[in-house]
Amino acid sequence: MRQVLSATVFAAALAFCAGAQAQVPAGYPADYSKIVDAAKKEGKVVIYSTTDAVSANPLVKDFEALYPSVKVEYSDLNSTELYNRFIAESASNNGTGDLIWSSAMDLQVKLVADGLALTYASPEIKALPKWAVWKDAAYGTTYEPIAFVYNKRLVPEADVPKDHTALMKLLESKPELYKGKITAYDPERSGVGYLFCNEDIKNFPAAWDLFKAMGKAQVKLYTSAGAMMERVTSGEHTIAYGIFGSYALSRSKKDPNLGIVLPSDFTMITSRVAFISKSAKNPNAAKLFLDYLLSKRGQEIVANKADLYTLRSDVEGEATLTQVTKLIGDKARPVPIDQTLLENLDQTKRLAFLSKWQKAKKGE
Amino acid sequence: MPIVPIVVYRFLVIGITTLAVAMPLSLVIYQSFLTAPFFDHSAKASFAAYSFVFADDDFWQAFWTTITIAGGMAAIAVPLGALLAFLMVRTDVPGKRYLEPLLLIPIFVSAVVIAFGYVVAVGPVGIFSTMAKDLLGFVPWNLYSLFSLIVIAGLTHVPHVYLYSAAALRGLSTDLEEAARVSGANPFQVAINVSLPMILPAILFAGVLVFFLGFELFGLPLVLGDPQDVLVLSTYLYKLTNKLGVPSYQLMAVVVVVIIAVTAPLVFMQRLLLRQAQRYVSVRGKGLKTQPLRLHGWRWFAFAAITLWLIITVVVPLFGITLRSFVVSWGEGVKLLDVLTLDHYRELLDYPNVIRGIVNTFGIGVIGGAIAVACYTAIALAVHRWNSGWTRLVDYIVMVPRAMPGLIAGLALLWVFLFVPFLSPLRSTMVSIWLAYTIVWLAYGMRLVSGTLLQVGPELEEAARVSGASDLRVKRDVTLPLIKYGMLASWLLIFLIFVREYSTGIYLLGPGTEVIGSLLVSLWGTGAIDLVSALSVVNVVMIGAGLAVAIRLGVRLHG
Repeated sequence: MRQVLSATVFAAALAFCAGAQAQVPAGYPADYSKIVDAAKKEGKVVIYSTTDAVSANPLVKDFEALYPSVKVEYSDLNSTELYNRFIAESASNNGTGDLIWSSAMDLQVKLVADGLALTYASPEIKALPKWAVWKDAAYGTTYEPIAFVYNKRLVPEADVPKDHTALMKLLESKPELYKGKITAYDPERSGVGYLFCNEDIKNFPAAWDLFKAMGKAQVKLYTSAGAMMERVTSGEHTIAYGIFGSYALSRSKKDPNLGIVLPSDFTMITSRVAFISKSAKNPNAAKLFLDYLLSKRGQEIVANKADLYTLRSDVEGEATLTQVTKLIGDKARPVPIDQTLLENLDQTKRLAFLSKWQKAKKGE
Repeated sequence: MPIVPIVVYRFLVIGITTLAVAMPLSLVIYQSFLTAPFFDHSAKASFAAYSFVFADDDFWQAFWTTITIAGGMAAIAVPLGALLAFLMVRTDVPGKRYLEPLLLIPIFVSAVVIAFGYVVAVGPVGIFSTMAKDLLGFVPWNLYSLFSLIVIAGLTHVPHVYLYSAAALRGLSTDLEEAARVSGANPFQVAINVSLPMILPAILFAGVLVFFLGFELFGLPLVLGDPQDVLVLSTYLYKLTNKLGVPSYQLMAVVVVVIIAVTAPLVFMQRLLLRQAQRYVSVRGKGLKTQPLRLHGWRWFAFAAITLWLIITVVVPLFGITLRSFVVSWGEGVKLLDVLTLDHYRELLDYPNVIRGIVNTFGIGVIGGAIAVACYTAIALAVHRWNSGWTRLVDYIVMVPRAMPGLIAGLALLWVFLFVPFLSPLRSTMVSIWLAYTIVWLAYGMRLVSGTLLQVGPELEEAARVSGASDLRVKRDVTLPLIKYGMLASWLLIFLIFVREYSTGIYLLGPGTEVIGSLLVSLWGTGAIDLVSALSVVNVVMIGAGLAVAIRLGVRLHG
């Protein structure tokens, strides 16, 4: 009888623990349950994001499975619209996105620097690389290598450039074959393009020579990776310079003709930056989603369902930090999330760069 | 029934219209003289934004390109549209019944859809280009040139001119044309010397509107101008944002102010032309059905010409986009049979926002379109037969929003919805989208309705007035029933326009306010081209089905 009783007590205690665990994820402080309860009361989280709904859908579904009483309202916008809308809504105090998640790293850092973000130290911080957290407000959420992408049908194996120097040499040695066939982001029309060029200049001493070589090869410039890949797979162009590895990976799964190269001299790594809005109506639900996004469970999906590349070293799969390291060793160059990104937004610097770029584009 | 003096009605309508137009516009002008977003505390008054834009070479390049494109497309669309209207309304071209609904397709297909369809079909490695290359050894066209952009823009705007001209022609009795025929004129002499002068006001309206549309062209240059860096003012706005790194409202506002400065004189010119319009009133208290002009041997030539135009502007791009929606990839060296798939359509169903977008789009077209036409009619009736300075004012006011690119009008309205207290709860509802659409298409809708009103002879109204009816009663019992057909046609047209609209809703896009057009632009930006193509086809099919239902229910485009 006593044994039965103690067994019952034990089972009850176990059940209680299990229940408590469902409330607070393992390793989180005990008072995290307060955030969970408050989030449940808020009932929803509004996310403004540049990640298309297609890729984010598995994350949203899994989050809602984990916290059934918190619904996700997900809007995908381009980075300029997101920025415009967020600053206007913040100023009006009429409610805006609770979690802002964008691939425009410099604009995100500016918003945090301008004081529009909530300071919140996520319990996941210790599992993240140092460069990915800034001021306990801005969080890198992905580890996306910037790749060369090429058309396997039309670019012979021997021509496939393995690094930046090889690409430059290819364009110089076979101008007739690659004239008008190379494509890249336009730094004049796209913030991403500008960021990429500037990181190239930091990491690759011959960057301007490469830009000139591209100019001579009549590089075709676009403002969206989708447009570039579409035209590379169709053969209108054959090589795309500087494409998010995440998009390329998704696309190559559907179309095996798309080849991906992580340049072996250095591979720039970008990260989608998330922060909680200071004027969030549902700050607790936003915390819950941010922590989920950074957690092992969330990053498993980031890596294996969304193809966005995880920045956690404890997640296995193709789109992971571990896999990128396996391919290029110590040549990964993550763009640090900090005030140096604000230099990108400096008007004088920008205009100076753009006028130099316009010359390079003409091959001068 | 209490008798409301017509003056009250008139000023109420004018007041509301002015407010709806002035709020976003004054925000834009105010913004253009600041150094930062208007809600930012650090904003100061300054001309800095103007100096920056005017010193920018790209601005001038975009400006002249825009003028070239707008002028070029008007030069193509106006003669072709007027000719098409004459052929369809007055002659015995074969297969009119079947051609008629097809003629309008270019209006209701989103320009982004058309542009992308062209890339797949006749781009450098498009399906037809590869065929041409196999046959001739080279591709005889370059899709990405400025010339192609103008031709495509011109051809896709033919239906706008056609609709105005055809509506005017249908309103004209044919006795003058018959007289010319009897006196021995051939069909072309009739068209040039009799019909054309009578519908000139309608054609000029259409011409000015096409020129306006040229100013806000966005989808075509966005897709087709991208590879060659052909900038127009609306795509220059994108580039401008990036020059400074941070989106700068004040610079965008300056560009909009410049656009308005260019278009305002055009409105004035159009107003002068319109004064002549009364001369051509020709729906009288009598009507006569007559035989169409016989083209004889030219019948089939005319038919072939119309078909060729349809093939170039409709079949080729729609074939391209439809094909793209069923394949994984395309282009040089791809065997299409190997890459067929239905996955893109299955994917659509996974996304609740896409599903909501489809439902919302239909709702905004049918319900929103009807309410919008009611509003336009209310405004048109308020100034109808009112010789006063106020009429001229309303004419200007309704033209103004047309001069703002939809993208910017959407942004300005977002500001209005954010900062006007009683409007803010409506921001994330379809009401915001409806208001934006209704204002952006105000000029267009007003021309539809007032074009119909112009055809109503004054003597019918005068007859009622003489019999003792009040002004409002005349409008309700005489004018409104007379323009019923015109209003139905306007509704259908506004439906098509609202369903295909893609730029206005971009800044208002959010959960609950998804519409297919802005979803397409948003998805295009993120590179989800599989979804874009499938959703485009859904959009086209949906409008086609809507049109079919409308025709079946007896709603005809023209009386």
